[in-house]
Amino acid sequence: MNAEQKRAWLGVATMTACVVGYLVLLPFFGPVVATAAFALYGINGFAGFIGRGERADERDRSIGRRATLGGAMASYMAFILGCMGTWFTVFAWQGRELVWVHVLGMITVFGGIVFFFTRSVAVLVLYGRHTEPDNA
Amino acid sequence: MPKITNCIRRFRFDHDEMTQEELANRAGVTRQTIIALEAGKYTPSLSLAFRIARVFNKRVEDVFQYEVSLSEDGPPSS
Repeated sequence: MNAEQKRAWLGVATMTACVVGYLVLLPFFGPVVATAAFALYGINGFAGFIGRGERADERDRSIGRRATLGGAMASYMAFILGCMGTWFTVFAWQGRELVWVHVLGMITVFGGIVFFFTRSVAVLVLYGRHTEPDNA
Repeated sequence: MPKITNCIRRFRFDHDEMTQEELANRAGVTRQTIIALEAGKYTPSLSLAFRIARVFNKRVEDVFQYEVSLSEDGPPSS
């Protein structure tokens, strides 16, 4: 297992911890406080310390680029869905003019989490599948 | 889909049972990539194909074979 895969597993593990934490906190504190469990995803920042100085070749770089692109696409879709979902729910459906101030921050954090989680899953999937180099 | 196969494993054994690690070091890639190549899970770049062929003192087409099915290559011309 190389550094890229270890970082991807860390991403999947922290996301699992976030979801478990949310489900544990939910019945006791409600959905707003339980959302704080997603702060655990910050642990993923330590991924930068994994495999420093380890050699990456053309296959690793190709997989990294594809996974990053997949993560960016998923993140963009999540962000747009979050914005449009908010607009639809608050303005179009409920007929209100004001949005809770934390919504934008939560949508942004959600987009970031989607990016890193999708990238982690894509890395793990691509290492198990047939891949082509970028110049093929 | 065109498929690129290779004889890396055979050439490794023909060269004093060269290890995957040694081939990886000489070709400038990781051992994981050599494993993926031998398993047919990775198609190398042209540059890597040349580097691997040079390790074995062979031509690229001796180490790598390009297979195209008739349906994709079109009907044979007369």
